[in-house]
Order: sequence, then C-alpha cells, then structure tokens
Amino acid sequence: MAFSTTVSQRKHIKRKAPRGFLKRVFKRQKPHLRLETSGDLLVHLNCLLFVRRLAEESRMNAFESKCGVIKKEHVQAAAKLFFSPTQPELRGMKENC
Amino acid sequence: MAEAMAESYNRDSEPTTRTLLRRVLDTADTLTPRRRRSARVRRLSSPTKMNVRRRSHRARSIGRLAHVHTSGNLEEQTPRTLLKNILLTAPESSVMMPESVVKPVPTPQVVQSSRRESSRGSLELQLPELEPPTTLALGLLAPGRRKQRQRLSVFQQGMDQGLPLSQEPRGNGSASSLTSSLNLTFATPLQPQSAQRPGLARRPPTRRAVDVGAFLQDLRDTSLALASPGDSLRTPVATLPTDTVLEDTQPFSQPLIGRSPSVYHSLPCLSHTEAEDAKRAVSHRTQSSGPRLQNHNPGKPTQLLAGKAKKVDALAVSFPNNSSAVSGEDGVEPLQDGVGEEAEERMEESLSVSKVVATTGTQGSVRMEKSKGHREMTEAAEAKEPEGSSGASLELASSTTEFLQARRPQFLEPAPPPSAAVLSSEPLEPLSTRLPPRARTPGPRPRQDPHKTGLSHYVKLFSFYAKMPMEKAALEMVEKCLDKYFQHLCDDLEVFAAHAGRKTVRPEDLELLMRRQGLVNDQVSLHVLVERHLPLEYRQLLIPCAFSGNSVFPAQ
Repeated sequence: MAFSTTVSQRKHIKRKAPRGFLKRVFKRQKPHLRLETSGDLLVHLNCLLFVRRLAEESRMNAFESKCGVIKKEHVQAAAKLFFSPTQPELRGMKENC
Repeated sequence: MAEAMAESYNRDSEPTTRTLLRRVLDTADTLTPRRRRSARVRRLSSPTKMNVRRRSHRARSIGRLAHVHTSGNLEEQTPRTLLKNILLTAPESSVMMPESVVKPVPTPQVVQSSRRESSRGSLELQLPELEPPTTLALGLLAPGRRKQRQRLSVFQQGMDQGLPLSQEPRGNGSASSLTSSLNLTFATPLQPQSAQRPGLARRPPTRRAVDVGAFLQDLRDTSLALASPGDSLRTPVATLPTDTVLEDTQPFSQPLIGRSPSVYHSLPCLSHTEAEDAKRAVSHRTQSSGPRLQNHNPGKPTQLLAGKAKKVDALAVSFPNNSSAVSGEDGVEPLQDGVGEEAEERMEESLSVSKVVATTGTQGSVRMEKSKGHREMTEAAEAKEPEGSSGASLELASSTTEFLQARRPQFLEPAPPPSAAVLSSEPLEPLSTRLPPRARTPGPRPRQDPHKTGLSHYVKLFSFYAKMPMEKAALEMVEKCLDKYFQHLCDDLEVFAAHAGRKTVRPEDLELLMRRQGLVNDQVSLHVLVERHLPLEYRQLLIPCAFSGNSVFPAQ
C-alpha cells in the first residue's frame, strides 16, 4: 500500500505542470483577465503539445540537413511554421478536410 | 570470432554449410533491388543476432549481388534462389571435419572480401561457411569490379606461393553454374581463371590467407555506408515505441545528456526503474548549471552502495532498500544544486523529496530485520523531518547524506550490532559540522529568474522530445519561441473570452484554441488529448466523471 502511493506520487511529480508559473505568465500578460482553475491545466496541455510538435519539426529539420545535433537554424525553421500566418500551421485540420 | 564459432556450434549440433546458409535465408528478408546497396545492407544486417561481421559480410555480399542485379546482369535470379540452389546441390558436409576432408566441399572461392582474418588453422573452418554467399556476390560482380580483380590477382599471386589455389568465382556464367550440380557449383566461373592459370583448373578449394588490408578497406567502406544512414534512420523508428510508453515512463529521461552517461555508468547494476524514476523526478527540477556536483555526488555514494550491495544476498529486503537508497541519494543531488535557486521552489521540492525519502526510509525500516537498524532508521528519519521543515535545503541535504550513510551498513547481513551502534552516532555528529560551511546564499535574484525557471521546465521537455543532442543556442532559441508562444496564447484567449462576453478565460476557450490549432478535431476530442498527455491527477480534475451518490466531479 505505502509502496504504491509512493510510486504514484513520484509519477505525479515528474509530470507536474508548473501551475504557478503559468498563472503568473497569464497575469503578467493580461492583468485584466482571469484564468480558471482547470484552464491552467489545459494551457499546460497546449504547451506540451506545442513543444512536442516543435521538437519533432526541428528534429526533422536536423535530419534533413544530416546533422547529428539540433542547431539553432533547425529550431528557427520549425518555429516559422508555427508563428507565420496560421494557415500553414493548420495542416492537421487541412489533412482531415 | 571464436565466440561466434562457439555460438554457431551451439545452435546446431552439426553446423554445416547447409545449415548456415539456411540460417542466412531465414534471417534475411527477400528484398527487391529498389534502393542502394547500403540501404539493403543495413536492413539485412539489423535483425540477426549472429556474428556481426559475418552477418554484415553476408549482407554486404548479398547487397552487392542485389546491386549488380539492378545493373541488369541477371533478371530472374535473386540471392535467395541462388542460395537455395546451393542448398539443393551442395553435399552435406560438416565443418568440423579436418581440412583435408573439407576441401572438396563446394567452397571454392575465397575472395578477398570473404576473408576475415589472417590464415589461422582454427579459423579456416569458418571460411567455407562464408564462401558460398560471397562467391555468389563475386561471381556476379566480377565484370564491374576492376578493383576486386586487381586485388584478386594480387591475392592469387600471393596465394600461389602458399596454398594451392582454388577456382575463383569469376565470370558472368556463375549464375548458371550455380544451378548446375554440385561439387563444383562454381565450376563455370573457373573457366576464365583457368584460362589464365591452367594449373588451377579443377583444384579442390583450399582456404587461403586473408588479405587483411583489403578486408579492412571493405569493412571501412561498408561501415561508412552503414553508419551515417543507419543511425539517422534507426532513431525515428526508436522514437515511436518510446512515445507510446511516455505515460508510464518519465518525460525527462534524456534531457541532461552530459551528465546522464556518467550517472548511469556509476549506478549499481541492481538499480531498477524505480530508482531511475526517482532520480529523474527530482533531477528535472535542477537547472543544468551544476552537472559537476551531480557527477561527483552520485559517484561516491553509488560506488560504496554498489560495493556493499554486492555483498548482500539477493534478498527482497535488500532490493527495495537499494532502490530507495538510490532514490534517496538522488534526492541529494538536486538539493545540493538547489542551493542557488529560489527558496520557494526548493522548499516545495525539498518537502516533497523529504516526503519521498521518508516514506522510503520508513518502508525500509519496516522491512529491516534488525531492531537496531530499525531504531537507527526511525531516528534518522525523525531527525530529518524537523530539518526538512526548517526550510534550509542544505540541512536537508546533509541529513539525507547522513541518512544514506546510516543506511549503508544495513545492507550487510553479517554486520555486528556494535558497528551499527557506532554508526548511529555518525548521523548526528557530522550534521552539526556541516551546517556552518554552507553559507552560500542565493543573492539578489533577477526578475527574470522565476520566468526562466518555469520556461526551463518546457525547455527540458523539448530536449526530451527531440531525443537528440542540442546546442545551447538552440535551447535559447526554444526559450524565445516559448515566450512568443505564450504571448500568442494569451492574446488568442483574450479574444475568445471577449467574443463570449466574458472576462474570465474558461476551458471552452482553451478548447476552441486547440481546435483552431488543429490539435482537436472531429476525430480527436479534447478529452482524448487530456487522457493521452496529462497524468491521472490532472485528468480527474479536467474530465467530469460521475461518482456514487449521483455526483459529478468536477461540477458542471
């Protein structure tokens, strides 16, 4: 019993969302707005997915340039996809359509 | 080579050319000549567990075969069919037989690429196995390969003086020759050779010395071809299974690449996933600024632990003790690194870590057979608790080290009680001595620091997902991207909330945002994403679930 709670506690720690950090960031940016309790976690989920997509994209860029190391240019090129006009980024939706 | 031979001999009671070729056929998949030879070579060489060189060698030869195949020498023949023909035609003969008997076996040609080592009597037995596939390759390749021809001729000259030469598999007619009946499956290729050297015609094959230089060159060529594409293409395949396992494993198994090899190297063999989980659990919080400390710390205690652990019998008691000890000791590292960090974050961490270590400590104490050991543990654990609450991470660090030191002798089964009594006094003493020296204060904290700390969480996630080493500049770029991302996010959420006439951002706004981003669509709902990527505790908070008593949590 005690063993299992320890294990789950450890897992929770690993996957913890920096909720305080997220709330603080939102407050700094938009002091006139409020963020709900669970919205915090969904923001974290969004961040996770964003980081994952960014990482995969930059890794693909690194492969294409036959580099064993991810370099700044790879990350920059990957970020362009996300921050340029949103259409290219909606590739997920387009594929489904 | 000797082990490989032993391995092959263990597998079959009587490893013959036939069985070995069969094995090759079984392991190698039928490939069509679509791509470059290096691609095929890599694929062929990946699955088998046989001797690497033998496998790569065969693959190489088959690859060459395929290469020539594409060039259009033989339209219908494939390596598989050729080998099958050999099997049909070759006589059953054992490789274990002495040389004189083995010679007449159809392993005529030793070609440069087939030879692996200098001629040694014990290894010559292996050559017959290698020869058939290679001779196939050579037979088909002959016309296109001037280099090989040169080497072969040089080789032959060298061999003329040594052993009696056998036929060489040269010539395009080798394909047809293979289908012909056996003894001399390679009889036809001999003809061009025999034209040059009449004395060689129809000689029984013998093993020749390996031309090491040529062989090494071949190895180098193929290894170059194998290495670069192989690594790059192997990793994406490797990521897929790890992605799906992400929920169970920790997301931070790879971020600190610099320090991970040394840490893993020093870990005792008994440490298992729990220990690693604990280590990563706390390690992910530390900034990568202090790899040195981490390297030193695990080095000493783990070595001692490893030494003592090995002495203990494989008891269930010792096992969880080891794991919890390792996890406890890993708690030491981030605590010591955390001295330079914010107090609140470290407090939080230290409390959680102390909870973890305390629970593991009490677990261990419960399982301890010795009553003295039990007392020791509880007193050490108690000593830790008040200090943990004091908020000074350094005291906690020192106490955990002492805690570990106190635990170490307990691994020894035969440790006499007096030694345990002596050790119990240890934890208390060094504690007081350690307090004064740690006078490092965090100093004036820049305003950006908490922001950076939070961002570093995501940066580490990035390096984990990337699964590749990254430059520092790239990591800074990632931070910038994250900043921009957060700005965009907040702007979008503001727009959505304003559109709904609200001043509070609610989960519906988040869902709309993700829908716009393409993460949520008709196939994949938000709940699915939540279940996939978030831990259970957050899932419970986000996804409404019905409980007993007609209640739903969270309330809608």
